Amino acid sequence: MLEACVLATILCGFFGIILKKNLVMKIISMDVMSTGVIAFYVLIASIEGLLTPIISEGKKATYADPVPQAVILTAIVIGFSIQALMLVGVMKLARDNPTLESSEIEKNNTP
Amino acid sequence: MNNITIVWIAIPFLLGFSIFLAPKINRHLTLWGVLASAAYSIQLFLEPSPLKLNLLDNFGVKLVADQLSAYFILTNAIVTAAVIIYCWSSDKTYFFYAQILIIHGSLNAAFICADFISLYVALEVSGIAAFLLISYPRSDRSIWVGLRYLLISNTAMLFYLVGAVLVYEKHHAFNFAGLKDSPPEALALIFLGLLIKAGIFVSGLWLPLTHSESETPVSALLSGVVVKASVLPLLRCAVVSEEIEAIVRIFGVGTALMGVSYAVFEKDTKRMLAFHTISQLGFILAAPAVGGFYAMTHGLVKSSLFLMAGSLPSRSFKELKYKPINTKIWIPLVIASLSISGFPLLAGFGAKALTTKDLLPWQVICMNIAAVGTAISFAKFIFLPHTKDAEINTKPGFWIAITLLISGLFVGNIVYLEAYSLDKIIKALITIAIGWSIYHLIIKKVSVYIPRLFEQIEHLIGVMSLTLVLLFWMALA
Repeated sequence: MLEACVLATILCGFFGIILKKNLVMKIISMDVMSTGVIAFYVLIASIEGLLTPIISEGKKATYADPVPQAVILTAIVIGFSIQALMLVGVMKLARDNPTLESSEIEKNNTP
Repeated sequence: MNNITIVWIAIPFLLGFSIFLAPKINRHLTLWGVLASAAYSIQLFLEPSPLKLNLLDNFGVKLVADQLSAYFILTNAIVTAAVIIYCWSSDKTYFFYAQILIIHGSLNAAFICADFISLYVALEVSGIAAFLLISYPRSDRSIWVGLRYLLISNTAMLFYLVGAVLVYEKHHAFNFAGLKDSPPEALALIFLGLLIKAGIFVSGLWLPLTHSESETPVSALLSGVVVKASVLPLLRCAVVSEEIEAIVRIFGVGTALMGVSYAVFEKDTKRMLAFHTISQLGFILAAPAVGGFYAMTHGLVKSSLFLMAGSLPSRSFKELKYKPINTKIWIPLVIASLSISGFPLLAGFGAKALTTKDLLPWQVICMNIAAVGTAISFAKFIFLPHTKDAEINTKPGFWIAITLLISGLFVGNIVYLEAYSLDKIIKALITIAIGWSIYHLIIKKVSVYIPRLFEQIEHLIGVMSLTLVLLFWMALA
């Protein structure tokens, strides 16, 4: 069930990138998609257990796998920086194309 | 050698950041970083067995450096050096050189890593640096081209990440070898990411616009090495199992044919070169075991051709027919064009012969058609009118850069000397002859307009889903 929701998020983001006309909306959709991917990593990590793997006196239980979580941290940072870069680019473009409609920008800027 | 590898990986990044601290010596620092790579790759060629590093633990970073990566690293070093020399006396700021060094370092990392997550990081860093280089002029068009590149490559890499975690779920490790017993979804998603990033087959149609609208040195860098960062992992994955190798080979043939059929009818010099890059990537994938040498010759040829195309008086072939070019530029142009068409005495001939030797029987006909198409499309350059006293506007560094790249083509000959047998030479000459006669009899007279329908951003992203279905179906079969 949870897995289906996560995959649906990824797909929603993907369709947003195709269907939304506004460039900012496209970038936001990309972020929705990457949120889905991050959730998927966390989900995979929690298959075997939910507890944080820290040595403690408390009860012994199954731990969540730390590797996917550690790995996805890198992807979060990269995704965030790419998004920042793209938004800066969009800000520059907005000066000459205030509507930010991707088809218009594409028409003006393809030879 | 292990310590040297780690130091060498860090060198471009360290120098790249020092450029921001000492902006005055930017070009020298860049050149030093590139020289380190060249020296390392030569050292790697002399190494008898592949170098395998496993940093930290089972989950850590895995590096594999062998002859295959040595070819790619050497290409990276030579092409980047040529680009720096080309830009030496231009008014590019230190920011530009720092980005070149960072892209150089991230490509080096992509060429020797052997697990999916390090590869992801290397590819994304190279993507960001490529975006900054593409949009360096800060005109509306360059920003749009860069944004388009970033959006497509990032979406592709998100699919790739999902594939990578599926491999992890199965094997509890991220290394390439894990692709073997993973579910077909993992293979489809990872390949989708790599194929799009490298600009292969239908999903690769973002490449012509990006490569042709960038500035001359940037397109040389993009076409020469950046796309190859995702080709090498495909070659490495092909070794994992026979089924995967079959998929890679099919995509190689499809790409070679698609790229060349666009290139034959293209009327813009830089777009023709960009389409041709797609087709040559197909050649590299069609014979995964020997792709390294082909990648090197292609990198040298394509970057020199892009640099020369930037110095021609016009971008349209039609206008160039009325504006004779200077013979001084025409000569290296012909040498590069002959090399890529597979003319003997140049490295392109050896590379083509080596690839042909490794083809499977069903691939041979298609790849020969693609080779003829290559000869046709480069006949456009060879038969351009030229005079001795045409005006010439080249940058001071232009000739050194071109000499470096072209002499690489002559030296590259020694890699595969067995290619010089009579039947192979005759075959190469016949291929070129057929190509040139088709050019004079048909292509020169017809004018076909190929619509750019599939190059719109929505279509590019839409095609991703179709490619995904295709890949999934291939992985299941």
